[in-house]
Amino acid sequence: MREQLEQLRNGALQAIATASTVEQLQDIRISMLGRKGELTALMKGLGSLSAAERPIVGQLVNTVRDEIESVLGAAIASAQEKVIAARLQSERIDTSLPGRRPQKGTKHPVSLVIEEICSIFAGLGFAVAEGPEIEHDWYNFEALNFPPEHPARDMQDTFFVENDMLLRTHTSPVQIRTMLKQKPPVRIIAPGTVYRCDSDATHSPMFHQIEGLMVDTKVTFGDLKGILTVFTNQLFGQKTGVRLRPSYFPFTEPSAEVDIACVICGGKGCRVCKNSGWLEILGAGMVDPEVYRHVQYDPENISGFAFGMGIERIAMLKYGISDMRLLFENDVRFLRQF
Amino acid sequence: MIVTYNWLKEFVDFDETPDELAELLTMLGLEVESMAKLGAGLDDVVVALVEEKRQHPNADKLSICRVNNGKDVLDVVCGAQNFKQGDTVVLAQIGAVLPGDFKIKKSKIRGEESCGMLCSEKELGLADESAGIMVLPPSIAPIGTPVFTALGLKDTIFEIGLTPNRSDCLSVMGIARDIAAKLNLKLKYPQCTIVEGPEKVESVISVTVEDADLCPRYAARYISGCTIAPSPEWLVKRLNAIDVRSINNVVDITNLIMMESGQPLHAFDCRRLSGQRIIVRTAEDGEQFTALDNQQRVLTSADLVICDAERPVALAGVMGGLNSEIENTTTAILLESAFFKPAAIRKTSKRLGLHTESSHRFERGIDIDGVGRALDRAACLIVELAGGVLAQGCIDIFPGKCDRKAITFRPEKANELIGIDLSRDIIIDILTRLECLVSPCADGSVSVIPPHYRIDLEREIDLIEEIARLNGYDKIPATMSIARVISDRPTRHQETEKRVRDLLVNNGMTEIINFSFTAPEAAGKLLLNDDDPRRIAIKLANPLVDEQSVMRTTLLPGLLETTAKNMNFRSLDLKLFEMRRVYFPGDGEGMPREPLCIVGAITGSRDGDGWSRPNEPVDFFDAKGIVETVLDVLDIGGVSWVVENTEPYYHPGKSCRVFAGREQIGSVGELHPLVQKNFEIEKPVFCFELNFEKLVQLSRAKKTIMAPSRFPDSSRDIAMLIPEELAAAKIVECIRAEKSKEIENVQIFDVYRGKGVPEGYKSIAVRIRYRSFERTLAEEDIASLHNKIVANLIDKLKVTVR
Repeated sequence: MREQLEQLRNGALQAIATASTVEQLQDIRISMLGRKGELTALMKGLGSLSAAERPIVGQLVNTVRDEIESVLGAAIASAQEKVIAARLQSERIDTSLPGRRPQKGTKHPVSLVIEEICSIFAGLGFAVAEGPEIEHDWYNFEALNFPPEHPARDMQDTFFVENDMLLRTHTSPVQIRTMLKQKPPVRIIAPGTVYRCDSDATHSPMFHQIEGLMVDTKVTFGDLKGILTVFTNQLFGQKTGVRLRPSYFPFTEPSAEVDIACVICGGKGCRVCKNSGWLEILGAGMVDPEVYRHVQYDPENISGFAFGMGIERIAMLKYGISDMRLLFENDVRFLRQF
Repeated sequence: MIVTYNWLKEFVDFDETPDELAELLTMLGLEVESMAKLGAGLDDVVVALVEEKRQHPNADKLSICRVNNGKDVLDVVCGAQNFKQGDTVVLAQIGAVLPGDFKIKKSKIRGEESCGMLCSEKELGLADESAGIMVLPPSIAPIGTPVFTALGLKDTIFEIGLTPNRSDCLSVMGIARDIAAKLNLKLKYPQCTIVEGPEKVESVISVTVEDADLCPRYAARYISGCTIAPSPEWLVKRLNAIDVRSINNVVDITNLIMMESGQPLHAFDCRRLSGQRIIVRTAEDGEQFTALDNQQRVLTSADLVICDAERPVALAGVMGGLNSEIENTTTAILLESAFFKPAAIRKTSKRLGLHTESSHRFERGIDIDGVGRALDRAACLIVELAGGVLAQGCIDIFPGKCDRKAITFRPEKANELIGIDLSRDIIIDILTRLECLVSPCADGSVSVIPPHYRIDLEREIDLIEEIARLNGYDKIPATMSIARVISDRPTRHQETEKRVRDLLVNNGMTEIINFSFTAPEAAGKLLLNDDDPRRIAIKLANPLVDEQSVMRTTLLPGLLETTAKNMNFRSLDLKLFEMRRVYFPGDGEGMPREPLCIVGAITGSRDGDGWSRPNEPVDFFDAKGIVETVLDVLDIGGVSWVVENTEPYYHPGKSCRVFAGREQIGSVGELHPLVQKNFEIEKPVFCFELNFEKLVQLSRAKKTIMAPSRFPDSSRDIAMLIPEELAAAKIVECIRAEKSKEIENVQIFDVYRGKGVPEGYKSIAVRIRYRSFERTLAEEDIASLHNKIVANLIDKLKVTVR
């Protein structure tokens, strides 16, 4: 029996040594250690031995079995490694070929800028308000302190439609509609489409604005300056210089034009800023008492500011677009870049 | 408004450089839109003396000059003949850059060295044409002086963009006044001394103002015996500098004084005024008038005219008449200075499309108090430059004598609103510098009477703005107010809009934005029925062009035009969408409706050309798939696809309407070949439309989320033959009708026509996935359920199971 065992052991080790594939090694395992394997058969023969011999031979069989197992295991592992190594050696793809991409869509730059500005103001506590584009003269002009026949109306060339209505020339009527609906405090911004009958390289008959309005007790011009500084710094970068200078709008007083340091040249002077170092980006001011009168607010108890800016202008500055018409030509070669 | 640095300096003695002044003006609200420095960069062009002039050895027409520039004596070759030895000339030295970017370099001309160039007026940009070089008066300035300095031409021209409220700054004086107020300097008013002759003005002319409302003040003076001649050089130069063309001495003076004071003036040829009378009245309806521009215009009773005994001689405040214009032979002049009602002048000027320097000022409001001053100043100047005698007295019809109301002003209110802390004294000082009359009141407020020329100062808030402006916006600290408001969440409408836009973009679609107005024939191009509500569009009363004359009722025309345009640029694989408002007239007096709509168009290949996938064209189901995704994300239930009565712009066999319950919420389809042709599109386009407002209404705000089953699934396939006209959706519906909780998913995975399938039939293969939430389904359970489903299909839909 010992001899038999020795023979079996040598045979197995030799077979393992000569086997070259994982499959051959598996076969050896089955033929040796499987249910019908030789070693298993040998184990079964232990019963015929004497009680004294049984544990000794049993021990011996187990030793042989462990040895074969361990050699076999190592051989299989090494064969598997070789297989993997061979695969890794042989399998190659050309990774320079383009990937299979899900198609990318793009938002219109006007939408992008509106979303960005709305989200900045949302962070400053402003809710979004909207209003009709086809408006009554009263909301678009009169309630905003543009009396009929006033030269200030020349600042805005108006498209008229039937029934004494017009296409709003600015988003400011949303101020009026909001204040008529709601008592102070008010904090809104109103993005929207506006129209003026004017068309050339720098004017489009349709464009977009965002209006802002904040009315509360003791709101100051300094607060307006504060909010707009935070806003422009978030939109154009932390160190963007901001300058307010006196201007005129019928519905605000004091009024201001707000300039930022030129984002193209950094304030040194270039073609875009006409060598002034400044870019005009929005109009603002303290809401005129005449406007409060139209919405039944009492200017003795509340105060507030309003501001408005052109989206296209900001989009052009942000993305370095020189011709406004590109924004409405809808050429996908342009739009897909956003 | 154009002003020059030197001119401003005549009225106020500031130290600021032109650049500093530009900054100061801009920060005062008088925005300098552009500035031009005359003679800038021309410091190397200097006064020089020709010490010697000799013939060029190699050229007949050239001479060689020895020119003294104050430091050196240089050789300069010159081609001009109009000067001689000893003349004072203009030398552009090496390094100078003349207008037109002409750089002066050392050069050799016909073998002789030339160290500079003798310049003509044209070369200096001082004249359009010139014969020969510029020869200066001998002692104009020391040799070596820059020529622009020597000629007194060194100046800076500012173009100021005035806001409509600042009519007081439509004059050099007005702007100087603001500078003086800001810098706390004294304004120097121009002096004039009236010397009158014996003849009394009333004996020459009588003036009647019939409409004192439209003409609150009318003043006039009479000058006889003048000589009309070209203006002296200083006057021509001054007017040219601000882009005013010189006409003759008298007309130039009226223009000069208008620019100086802001008061428009008009000079009539008195000889041509009939009846020695002036009548200020409104025109008769239909009355005709030929203005100085030689155009005849028909007037209405809203227009104010200045008439002689017979006819209008001027359109008040707008333009003089051809019939009384100053001519070369004119000797007697009636000089008019008046105040006309701004709104009336504006109406006339607008209606006639006649905008002049004069109407521009009158319609914004001039200084009613300055009417006489400007008249006297102009009259003096006319006598000085054109000779003649000023008649005694001045006609001045000013019945109203409008005194200004005092404004009660609270300094603390100004501080509070602006967010600054100025003392009462400083505030009073600012107002005083603005030439307001300020008297303190017992209650701490002050009573303020603004000057006449500041017609924009009427209320306390107007004065508050002046305090902020003069003190400087830059001195206002930027603060953050404490938010009392907690802003509302975005509305469902706003949230949904963003969600859908994001979704479409994430599905590879490119957003476009078209103009809201379109061509009136757009509806016709879509083959809409005559009674389609989309044919009733809101019209613009004053469109820029016919193609933009009605408000769109559908986004499709814009989308299809964009598609065609992009295809023309060979962008053939397109996935476009637009999400914008359309416009419908309101009912009766109601507001128009402006619902938000969504349209999409896809065309070309599905995945673009590539190495790894077959290049397949998109079809109806790509468009439908996008709609399905949107409806799925918004969790809109009860969706059905109705093939009957689809939109007229679709292929009737390849389109459907989309319903949610009973509401139509949109449509999908292949573009009708005729519509495709109408929009000049070369290839099939698949479109969808969604009514966004309905999507918002129907979208279920709260989705119910279920935990997934933890038990294994089991799938069964059914392949069946069905008649062509049976919609595949009916099969799925029939299976779903079993309402078993164990049916997890039903999927059509194959549709086949061809070999083995009889004509008029299609083969459909469906995979049903069964799974229970409670247990592992036994083979028998599945078989029994599945058999029931198959039996139903055979029974109800008469399918043939293959």
